[in-house]
Amino acid sequence: MGALNGGVTAPIRAIGRLASGSLAEVGAVSLFALRGVAAMVIGPWFPGQILRQFAAIGFFSLPVVSLTAVFTGAALALNIYTGGGRFNAEQIMPQIVALGLTRELGPVLAALMLAGRVSATIAAEIGAMRATEQIDAMRTLSTDPFHYLVAPRIVAAMVALPLLTLVADTIGIAGGWLVATLTLDFNPAVYARSTVDFIEAWDVGSGLVKAVVFGFIIALMGCYNGYTASGGARGVGRAATQAMVSAGILIFASDYVLTTLFTDR
Amino acid sequence: MGVVVLGLTAAFLVYLFTVGDFGGGRRGYELTARFGQVGALAQGADVRVAGVKVGTVSKITLDPATYFAQTRLAIDPEVKLPSDSTAKITSDGLLGGAHVVIEPGGAPDNLKPGGEIQNTQGAIDLLGLIGEVVRPKAAPPETGAE
Repeated sequence: MGALNGGVTAPIRAIGRLASGSLAEVGAVSLFALRGVAAMVIGPWFPGQILRQFAAIGFFSLPVVSLTAVFTGAALALNIYTGGGRFNAEQIMPQIVALGLTRELGPVLAALMLAGRVSATIAAEIGAMRATEQIDAMRTLSTDPFHYLVAPRIVAAMVALPLLTLVADTIGIAGGWLVATLTLDFNPAVYARSTVDFIEAWDVGSGLVKAVVFGFIIALMGCYNGYTASGGARGVGRAATQAMVSAGILIFASDYVLTTLFTDR
Repeated sequence: MGVVVLGLTAAFLVYLFTVGDFGGGRRGYELTARFGQVGALAQGADVRVAGVKVGTVSKITLDPATYFAQTRLAIDPEVKLPSDSTAKITSDGLLGGAHVVIEPGGAPDNLKPGGEIQNTQGAIDLLGLIGEVVRPKAAPPETGAE
């Protein structure tokens, strides 16, 4: 009887476990985020740490972000040229490329590259500190890891990503410009001119707002997964992968939500 | 690497925001032409004769007295244009690519540097034309009220 009961209710119990498990995870992340933000706002602050993280997250991500942007801009230009060509509107290409890059692809691609590069690094770094009990040691020295490890990374990412987005926007437009002028016979001056005349401050601004949110997500996922890592070296690897994947998904989800907010209808 | 990226970004930004503001006097000679409507014509747009690029639009300003658009065209010095040439604004596609086309006239004397092209035809307001076809002004009011 008991076995039968178990057989019948097993799927339901599995669903329950899954639901409560994921809810618990959401709760844990939220609490972690709250503690991180509190540490960020209240202090004490570690300017040295913030600067070091800013260099690691921002400056050293420039090559990878710009390479992504230039190829994306170039491919985007070719695709829009093809699409525009179907109704004789190839000449609208500079405007669409610029709009697509500033509002969407600049921030999202920069964030995704950072999710791969930075989120995983942060998770591995903090996870290794967790595995070697450095975080506990820090606490015994009365240094709050949230102030010393988490807050500087969140601040640095939230400042660095908008700046990287500006670079990605510019380089992406340059990629489109290169393809348009070298292979599609566009007049370089007219291309540049139509881009500058068309783009409004809010096109770039909304992308930067997205970038701030994405920066927060990237640092938060890295810190959370590293901080809660368990199981030694393998746990550190798992934390890095987890950080990257969850940051990527959250970036896309929040991108959709933010875009609906920024779309005036 | 990072420094290189920043340098390239800054260089392209400077290019984006300064291009089209060039004087135009550096290469070629300058002509002016007045149009009733320039439409989507932008500084830096091509000036073509028989489909071949012979210069660029170096400046577009509004003449405050006549409300005509005053354009300055920098023309290749190799190309001499008769004084009764016609300038008109056309475009490559439906939505852009506006440029100036010069149709050379037959007068014996050529336009001097700084001269003005007298015969001009401005941009055609395509959407206005479409609007007139789609909703003719003479249409009775009841058909227009959906």
